[in-house]
Amino acid sequence: MPSYIVTLKNDATDEQIAEAKQRAKDQGGQIGHEYTLIKGFQVILPEGTVSTLESIEHVEAVELDQEAQHPLSLADLVKHGRPPLSADALLASARFTLSLLPIRLAHRIQALRNLPYIVVSNPNVSRIYNNYQHSLSTLLPWQGGTISNLDDEIHFTEVLAELVQTHTDTIPVLARGFLECRKYISPAEVTRFLDEHLRARIGTRLIAEHHIALHFSSTPYLDRAKAAAAASNPDTVPDPPPPPPPASYIGVIDTALRPASLVDSCGNFVADICELSYGVRPRWVVDGEPDTTFAFVPSHLEYILTELLKNAFRATVENGMSREPVVITVAPEPPEVKPAPSSSSSSPSPSSKHTEGQKDESRGRDAPIAPLDDNAPGVTIRIRDRGGGISSDVLPNIWSYSFTTFNNDSDDALPGSGSWGGGGGGADDALSVISAASNGASSIAGLGYGLPLSRAYAEYFGGGIAVQSLHGWGTDVYLRLKGVGRIE
Amino acid sequence: MPRFSVHNVKTPARLMAGIAHRIRDMQRLPYVVVTNPHINEVYDLYYTAFDTFRKVKEIKTTEDNDRFCKTIRSMLKAHLPVIPKLAMGILECNGLMDASELDKFMNTILRSRISRRVIAEQHLALTDTFNASWFSPGAKLSESEFIGEVFLKCVAKDVVERVAHTVRDILQHAYGSDVMLPEVRIDGHLDANFPYILSHLEYIIGELLRNSVQAVAERYHHDRNKKIPPGTKPPPIQVTICESSQHVIIRISDQGGGIHREVLPYLWSFSKGPASQQILANLGKVPKMAATMQELQVADEQQHHNPITTASSSRHNPGKNPNPNPGTTSSGMPAVGSESIEFDGQPPSAQAPGGDPNSSLASLASRPPNLRLGMGLPLSRVYAEYWAGSLALHSLEGYGVDAFLQISKLGNKNEQLTTRASMDAV
Repeated sequence: MPSYIVTLKNDATDEQIAEAKQRAKDQGGQIGHEYTLIKGFQVILPEGTVSTLESIEHVEAVELDQEAQHPLSLADLVKHGRPPLSADALLASARFTLSLLPIRLAHRIQALRNLPYIVVSNPNVSRIYNNYQHSLSTLLPWQGGTISNLDDEIHFTEVLAELVQTHTDTIPVLARGFLECRKYISPAEVTRFLDEHLRARIGTRLIAEHHIALHFSSTPYLDRAKAAAAASNPDTVPDPPPPPPPASYIGVIDTALRPASLVDSCGNFVADICELSYGVRPRWVVDGEPDTTFAFVPSHLEYILTELLKNAFRATVENGMSREPVVITVAPEPPEVKPAPSSSSSSPSPSSKHTEGQKDESRGRDAPIAPLDDNAPGVTIRIRDRGGGISSDVLPNIWSYSFTTFNNDSDDALPGSGSWGGGGGGADDALSVISAASNGASSIAGLGYGLPLSRAYAEYFGGGIAVQSLHGWGTDVYLRLKGVGRIE
Repeated sequence: MPRFSVHNVKTPARLMAGIAHRIRDMQRLPYVVVTNPHINEVYDLYYTAFDTFRKVKEIKTTEDNDRFCKTIRSMLKAHLPVIPKLAMGILECNGLMDASELDKFMNTILRSRISRRVIAEQHLALTDTFNASWFSPGAKLSESEFIGEVFLKCVAKDVVERVAHTVRDILQHAYGSDVMLPEVRIDGHLDANFPYILSHLEYIIGELLRNSVQAVAERYHHDRNKKIPPGTKPPPIQVTICESSQHVIIRISDQGGGIHREVLPYLWSFSKGPASQQILANLGKVPKMAATMQELQVADEQQHHNPITTASSSRHNPGKNPNPNPGTTSSGMPAVGSESIEFDGQPPSAQAPGGDPNSSLASLASRPPNLRLGMGLPLSRVYAEYWAGSLALHSLEGYGVDAFLQISKLGNKNEQLTTRASMDAV
């Protein structure tokens, strides 16, 4: 049975607290820990009874309890060891993942619930809301029991994979939904919601995809695959497994990621699109220290680089400067001998808005995943283009989500057709559509979400993005990435 | 065009209002801060200034005005040390008051100081023009001549080149001939120009270039950094000038290794946290600081090579009365815009070595590289933002720094000055 933490309002009296506890017991609940610093208690409640508690007037909030009593850190993700994971380690990872996910989903649901009624009634937003509820209800039964054998683990991983799959197009659907609701919710509110939501989503997907990746590089899985291949009965061979990842990978983390290589592959991808849309292929140069490697999540960096290079290439071509290469400088941070004090220049952690004050230190449920240690060597990547820069009237909007620039007349406008870039509407659409089509995994391309989302990814592990425009000349983008840590 | 009589008469009132407000600001600071000897000296200076100005009679005659001008000049001179004194005071008060409050105070007083000094200098310049032999009231003036104009047309490329030359001279002199200094290369819109107070612009660019050249030279010098083979040519500093309809942006890009993350939080603050003690020791060695290019002038012996004052004077009076005395106006008054105005009429560049006390500016100019004062950036930003511009820095730690100086082309600067003066009077 799920465990909850019930918090009462600050001005609740002792009798009111006692009354709430009694109510919980009446429902068949079991009171666990009673807090002294805050007015609240922990209770294990039977299914379906939670809403009764929520309706008590003095109750501030009822939240799923988190079993792990420490803020989530990346150390936890890699503590199960380097692949291939043994059966025990794999089970431990599964159990750990299970402990983290439901609470994160619960928070998303709560955030959605707090949006205006008319907004959540929108079919698109409602669909996403239902997705989250469905996912949570799929996971909750698992919470009661435990993953004790490999069959359980396989089943659990399948559930995870379905979860990841279901939520793949959350962003474009939400975007369309908010667009349709723009009369009922202000751009500032949407930006606030999306910022929080998308950042949380990064973490949730990370945890799930990480376990899935560990699963596919685990000993039990590999053994099964070998056995199935040896049996060579076409009927029993499962779907071809993904090729085992390189040795430097732990789950979704590549401990030896070389940004310069990723720049080149993303550059080629974006340059191909440019060639298709504009007939011109921009050039780029990588300088600084191209052979730098660090530990990071490749899919994140790939997304960021693709978006930033798209901006740079498009601007360069539209400014008629395609002969001038885009210069990308890779600058590794020098290793720090002693732990560095936190720098004021890095953006505040997005979780600082979340964590419920100082009530309970262990409540860092929605906190972004902390890097392994402060000494995690990072990298700064500067992308310098001759694309003519960003004009000062557009500049304040570059970090908001694209719906703000849609014209009010057309509800049929495809996301992406109004992106703030502004130049060459036709080519803009073509670029977005083509890139969306070819980049099958990520239909978020071309939404005008590129910059704010990239920043969310960069900031997730303590980095950030800064944009400096020289209007009339070009733009410099500074991508600071904190490594996810030194992993032995 | 500014009208002579109106501007002249209002000057004492404007100056007094600004001073009064700053005195009030200081009176509100915590007792422990204002009793710091340095801050206290500044407080006394301001108090005296107010007292002096309030005794000035309404200006009705030329003699009245001459007396007033004399007062202004001596005031400008007496207040030269205000900046380093305030800076020292703030460093000593580390921990006694919230750093951001201190910064707010410092920014306010520095901004107010800029406006008062420029108003004062504008008044002096107006007087000069009025007194100039070629001027007659009511005469039509061509567009290129402005009465009491303190803003000069600055061609970005020229200013950068001149400043780069001076900075490299000073640093080469200080480091010795065996240290290789990086070149400064300029690209972009080379014709870009805009009206500005030349000494302010030169100060900002001077500080930025100085930071860059020093960082690169030290990073690529074999003695400091054993990984660099001896004789390696340091990578050049790239300056890009970008002009649009509303702004001119000057980007200075170096490969000096970036800013250390421990320094980063204090970069723009006058409070320096852990580094306070060392900086205090350095500041004590600098007698006065006027925050102009003249501080960056090469030491006395090399003054005859000084390209700066010659250039500014030729701009100040385009085509009219070729000026025999560099650094002065045609009537022998000192060049407008320089804070180190000599009231005895001697231009700074022509003085004998070790003569006038204001030549001590030269000692700041040739301050050795290890004399890190920590004020260049926050002070430059005050100047940049004063004229509706901005100064931003992006550091690639381990690689280098990009500095972006944005200058606004919009608006009539003279009008801005008057508006600012009335705003500062609040």
